Amino acid sequence: MALKVLTVDDSKTIRMIVKKAFKNYDCEMFEAENGVEGLATAAKVKPGLIVLDITMPVMNGIEMLGKLKEEPGLKDIPVIMLTAESGKDNVMQIVKMGVKDYMVKPFKGQDLIERVEKIMQLAPKPDEDEAENRANRYFSQVEDVAVLALPSKVTRPVTVEVESDLQAKLKEMAEAKMNKLVLDLCKVAETNVLLIKLIISTLQRCQTAKIAIRVVASAKQGEELKSFQETSDIPVVNTLAEAQTAL
Amino acid sequence: MSEINSLDLNEFITNAVSDVFDTMLSMEVESVAAGQPENYNGGHIVGTVSLAGKILGNLNLHVGEEFAMQITAAMLGMEMDEIDGSEEIHDVIGELCNMIGGDLKSRLCDYGLTCELSIPSITTGKELKIEPRGWDRREEYGFSSNQHTARVEVFMKIGN
Repeated sequence: MALKVLTVDDSKTIRMIVKKAFKNYDCEMFEAENGVEGLATAAKVKPGLIVLDITMPVMNGIEMLGKLKEEPGLKDIPVIMLTAESGKDNVMQIVKMGVKDYMVKPFKGQDLIERVEKIMQLAPKPDEDEAENRANRYFSQVEDVAVLALPSKVTRPVTVEVESDLQAKLKEMAEAKMNKLVLDLCKVAETNVLLIKLIISTLQRCQTAKIAIRVVASAKQGEELKSFQETSDIPVVNTLAEAQTAL
Repeated sequence: MSEINSLDLNEFITNAVSDVFDTMLSMEVESVAAGQPENYNGGHIVGTVSLAGKILGNLNLHVGEEFAMQITAAMLGMEMDEIDGSEEIHDVIGELCNMIGGDLKSRLCDYGLTCELSIPSITTGKELKIEPRGWDRREEYGFSSNQHTARVEVFMKIGN
């Protein structure tokens, strides 16, 4: 789960610099312009980290930190203070208030990340393209019909991947109010038990999700499916166009 | 009064400006003679922070509009044509001023001249002039970078 990071600073510039610093990490960023907004946002989103400026209008960072420490549900959130003042008295005051660390401005985004990594591990941001490609490796879309095309060889890892992707796809289809799916077996070179089980589970899941489904297979595959008791009654068409019409 | 006059403000401000420009903007600055004629091409932006406590003071950072845009783009890691209006520029100049003022405040506090720092304010205009009055010490420092100049003014007097 993404780390929730709350930046409380009256300067949009600093909030942008902090946001950019975390851009390569799996973080969900939240912002507030002063201590009052910061406390409200912290109570609402329960961040895993707060980056808190000191000098702000309405309520400064020192006051916000004091109030944060009084709240049982918020007092343990790690806080890194930002300050433009590096004087001994200022630093001592910050340290005494129980912050995890502090940054003296000016600072680079990478300096902030290094401070954060001293107190918690930051996960790299998942590659969105890779995740999307992985999700779409078996699925495509033809007009209003989702097409699940199985690969030439259906192995156990493939069935695990397909079942996982199918679960996500059915949820996505429900949200998009789509209700037609084609199971395309044309690329499958060998009809084995794993394939039969996968066909059955796919049909059952579609039925549960109220998705209309048609199986597309070659004539030979159709004959082979008829030879298995579990798939003997499944209607099979030979082309995608036929399946679209039947749906 | 003598406490104020003994402060090496030149070193304080020069180090702070160099550090802020280098760290936040990756810009090198050079000290130049203050008071030389400046051409702001019509647009002049002044960031101000105030100090109040055992010492009272103001710090003004003067930049021209074009340099302010370069600074903003560098600070936010964007191109100049991506800058989203004057609000963004003012925020950046205010934040730079806060950092330079924050460093000055720290140096003053280390000398026992404890004081508080205000949040920054921005003044803009054409051919504007700030006329300070009633201060015990007034200093002005010039800096150049990327063929532009910035000017820092510091005004001080003993507080309560």
